[in-house]
Amino acid sequence: MKVFLNTLKWIILIFFLFVALYPLIWLLLASFKANNLELQQNPFGFPEKWMFINYYNAMVKAKLPSLFIHSIIVAFSAVFLNLLVASMTSFVISREDFKGKNVLLTVIAAGILLPIISFMVPYFTIIQKMRLYDSLLALIIVYSAINIPISVFLLTSFMGSIPVELEEAATIDGAGFVQRFTKVIIPLSQTGLATAGTFCFIYSWNEFIMALLLTSSESSRTLQLGIRFFTSQFVTDYTAMYAAIVITIIPSIVVYFIFHNKIISGLTAGAVKG
Amino acid sequence: MKKNKNIRMILLFLVPVAFLYISFFIYPLAFVLGTSLTEWNGITEMKFAGIDNYKKLLTDETFLLSIKNNIIWALSGGFIQIPLATMVALILARKPKGWKTLRTIYFLPNIISAVAIAMMWKAIYNPMYGFLNAFLNLFGIEGHNWLGETATALPSVIAQTVLYIGYFMVIIFAATTTIPKSFYEAAEIDGCTTLQQEWFITIPMIRGILVTTITLAMAYGMRHFEATFLMTSGGPAHSTSVMGLILYNKMDAFRLGEANATGTILILLGTVVIVVIRKLLSGRDAGSDSVQ
Repeated sequence: MKVFLNTLKWIILIFFLFVALYPLIWLLLASFKANNLELQQNPFGFPEKWMFINYYNAMVKAKLPSLFIHSIIVAFSAVFLNLLVASMTSFVISREDFKGKNVLLTVIAAGILLPIISFMVPYFTIIQKMRLYDSLLALIIVYSAINIPISVFLLTSFMGSIPVELEEAATIDGAGFVQRFTKVIIPLSQTGLATAGTFCFIYSWNEFIMALLLTSSESSRTLQLGIRFFTSQFVTDYTAMYAAIVITIIPSIVVYFIFHNKIISGLTAGAVKG
Repeated sequence: MKKNKNIRMILLFLVPVAFLYISFFIYPLAFVLGTSLTEWNGITEMKFAGIDNYKKLLTDETFLLSIKNNIIWALSGGFIQIPLATMVALILARKPKGWKTLRTIYFLPNIISAVAIAMMWKAIYNPMYGFLNAFLNLFGIEGHNWLGETATALPSVIAQTVLYIGYFMVIIFAATTTIPKSFYEAAEIDGCTTLQQEWFITIPMIRGILVTTITLAMAYGMRHFEATFLMTSGGPAHSTSVMGLILYNKMDAFRLGEANATGTILILLGTVVIVVIRKLLSGRDAGSDSVQ
């Protein structure tokens, strides 16, 4: 029985390891293969020759470099705007007393439960009214707004755990309202900011539907849209398509391996609170 | 509560969030609910239409099929994905060799974009060049056109999502770390096997988080859209259609009133699922609920 359970345990663990990892490895190998024929004849093995040219083709045909820059601008600006607004909000909710602050927190956090896809029409209308249609700024504002509930939820609980003595000491030293925020709370909230910021970054980097909805021209196209257009345009050239997908995945994986502890502890904080 | 002398600064600090939250949550919610009762194409004036849009939707077979598919998505999330995630979380909670690395890798697919994941799985399911058919052929099993046949399309898209357990696994795993070790030591002394310990100690102790994750997974199922849009666009023969897709298509065709009626139904059904599931799952023998 013990041996059986132990074997079963490892079968389960390895199965999910396979599910999580193998498709990515397969994609990576396929992206270096020569052509569709090699994909068919050699579906699992290493490529006969490593075709780095596929990556060059993907870069040039899909204009990946400029899309890459758009995505970087959007993701970093959205994170900055989101953290600025969410940290100001969380600061007053977690460090000040005022009427209705619990209601305010509940209302903001309830936004996590709303299905954003049902807002497709109003978001389109609002962005058009703001005269921001087909601009990177539209995406920056929308992405940072969509992530406000989760960021405020994470940051209020994080800032709430900072000892009040530190702020009192700063007040005695003559720090005003704004200095308490900028000189005490913000520096002490770096872990919380990193967690909230990582969530917002991954969301903004990966977001697709709103980008499809709110932009139309190449000058504001993000990487995710580019991949979609590229894959529907060049359906016959599978290897270059795979290379393009790999290129979009790499930044997410890099960010993840730097910040995975923060992401996992961010989820953990939510879970332990229930 | 006494009046705070900083009230002006507090209000000033809340101006940005008020702007963003009202513009992108409160106003859109009111807008969707309100315009769902109109006939509107985005160009000419809105016309009040009462519940016409709802009547039309609820007698449309494709829409009803989409609701059914969303419910299948929700049930797969709540009752396949969460049990699998729980199983893996409980195994990892006993800290087998390499558990930290495994946890990091299981979570990895969750940070990759839906577009990349969808395109990757489209490649895997590809009848000519895909790895799934090549793999099955090794065992002499005939392949399928997985996304092109009505019988296999929906299960194929769902499998692609449900097998990625990392997100919920991490949450459930975190809940297990709050259980005192002494519980298990006591059970061990009383002669409980590992499986008995999991069933009689761990599961009841993490019940609150299980209810939360089942609710979340089901809510995600009700609003599912992206992978279907990218992999099958609802086909073949509408067999994979979901409400989000109907909303998108109505919007694309400038039937904005109908699109927003779809959005309203989506919000309502999502809320119903959250409320009903929480009631059903946490109502039963709530007395033994010691955590949460």
